[in-house]
Amino acid sequence: MAIVCENLIKEFGEPPTRIIHGLDFDIADGEFLSISGRSGSGKSTLLYLISTLDMPTEGFVTIDGKVSSDMSVEELHNFRNENIGFVFQFHYLLAELTALENVLLPPRRTGMHEAKREQALSLLKDFGIEDKQNHLPSQMSGGEQQRVAIARALIMEPKYIFADEPTGNLDSVNGQIVMELLTRINRDRGSTLVIVTHEQDYAKMAEREIYLVDGHITEEETA
Amino acid sequence: MLFLAIRHLLSRRRQTILIFLGISLASMVYVVISGLYLGMQEYMIDRLLNNTAHIKISARDQSIDQPEMTKRFYGNDTAVSWITPPSGKREEAHIMYPQGWFDRLRDDPDVRAFAAGLSVNVIISRRDTKRAGVLGGIEPDKQIKVTGLEHYMSVGSLLDLSGGGNKIIIGDGLLERIGARVGETIKVSAGSEEPRPFKVVGLLHLGVAEIDNTLMLAALRDVQQINKSPGQINEISVSLFDLDRAQELADSWKLLSRDKVESWSEANAGFFEIFNLQDFIRYTISVAILLVASFGIYNVLSIMVNQKRREIAILRSIGYSPHQVLELFLIQGIILGIGGALTGLGIGVLLKQYLGTIELQAMQIDHLNLSYAPSIYIGGFLLAFVSSLVASVLPARAASKLTPIDIIRSE
Repeated sequence: MAIVCENLIKEFGEPPTRIIHGLDFDIADGEFLSISGRSGSGKSTLLYLISTLDMPTEGFVTIDGKVSSDMSVEELHNFRNENIGFVFQFHYLLAELTALENVLLPPRRTGMHEAKREQALSLLKDFGIEDKQNHLPSQMSGGEQQRVAIARALIMEPKYIFADEPTGNLDSVNGQIVMELLTRINRDRGSTLVIVTHEQDYAKMAEREIYLVDGHITEEETA
Repeated sequence: MLFLAIRHLLSRRRQTILIFLGISLASMVYVVISGLYLGMQEYMIDRLLNNTAHIKISARDQSIDQPEMTKRFYGNDTAVSWITPPSGKREEAHIMYPQGWFDRLRDDPDVRAFAAGLSVNVIISRRDTKRAGVLGGIEPDKQIKVTGLEHYMSVGSLLDLSGGGNKIIIGDGLLERIGARVGETIKVSAGSEEPRPFKVVGLLHLGVAEIDNTLMLAALRDVQQINKSPGQINEISVSLFDLDRAQELADSWKLLSRDKVESWSEANAGFFEIFNLQDFIRYTISVAILLVASFGIYNVLSIMVNQKRREIAILRSIGYSPHQVLELFLIQGIILGIGGALTGLGIGVLLKQYLGTIELQAMQIDHLNLSYAPSIYIGGFLLAFVSSLVASVLPARAASKLTPIDIIRSE
């Protein structure tokens, strides 16, 4: 299994409010999993826990054979940089960098950006935005910006892609394009894909769907 | 991180330019003010050193005391009770054993030259114009070796006083005040004696008003005659091979005699207090300006950190460490600090060069004396750079402490 969650609990605040209630589930290598639920059900919190952005209050997340809470800060940074691609609801592109420079941001951390340049251009071409490579985010549409963000998530050829409401800020046409892109990436590259969405149509595109209510898994469907 | 830091700065052009100008202005003001103050100090020290000996030995102050005055005016047999006791210094104070000093100084390997002198209070007059001042009796051939006064002779030479004959050299300010000219004869009187004629044979111009308006020099023998104190001297000017040893030697010589021994720095302590005050003002102004610039950097970077929270979140989520985020903002402070400081130094140099060309007709000096000492530029650069760095540390640290999850949750 690529990711194993054991008795996962997450609490916030003082006195502690439990958001995630002792979840146990696995995600297989190359699997496409969707996490859905209503607003406040804990789906984004769960995604951040399994993607190592946050640590559980209790329980464990084992990713790639390593327990996230046992990793040092440096190990976590390296692991995220080399193995994980994030796509957020808001694209979070750097406003002062062009599309191409944004895509090359992860390899820039280790000075590999020049070596990855051709690959970045190829990704932009693949996503139909190669003509926007020198455009700033402010010169692109929301859908184009999100495609740049996905290209940035893929540039390090990560084993895991985590997407938090990737279509939440897009119209239906662009939302469909982004979902098809993510599905294609999962299918063609074999990356493990976990997306959080509250839109049932998109959730059903996954191989397996987890439905959360108040931090509990109430339904689990496999396509 | 340099690439990202430069892009950050360029993306906030107006703010960047404002901070840049602030730092440039601060270092420029430091360079110009320091140049002016230090230039003035160098000018003053140069003239003081050339006008005064490295060490001056003078007669000890002799106070007027009550028993002496009683004896002088009322005799030994009268008991006098003073309502206001007499006080003050005796004018006729002189060095009691000058030969002992001459022998010692001649044998001292640290001493380059020395010259005896006698200063007396006189009144000079030309027709109805009278001025009080101090007439210095000198040995011209020796005096030339002790001080650099000869360089400041605008007319004539100190050697013109050689051989005596009632000749006088005076400061050009004083000459103007009594309305005399070189070659003319003026009258000089000491005490209640009849004024004696002295011929003006030379003019001095040191550029320091208080000296140029009072200085008078004549041959030692002439001054002794006018003072009715033949053979007496009240000061010995000493020149050393090593100026820096003046204080140390003066301190050791003080132990040898009751005469007053002063190094040039002690004799001009008032000037050094003024210099210290000037330095204090200079640093205060510079620090005040740099503080304003630092607050500017701090504010702009703090705002930038807040505006860039989402970007910090993405950088952290794709593997950038807190240390790298800290670097990102710190580098921006460093770029602004170095760039602003160097620009300010450059503009400061140009401004100083311009100020140096301005003619000052209303003052005793023709042009402003500006210092170009390297320490000014090193100090200006360090002040601007360090303050920029310090001002950017807090926002940079705040940025590095942001975790991606906290930022994402707060959005």
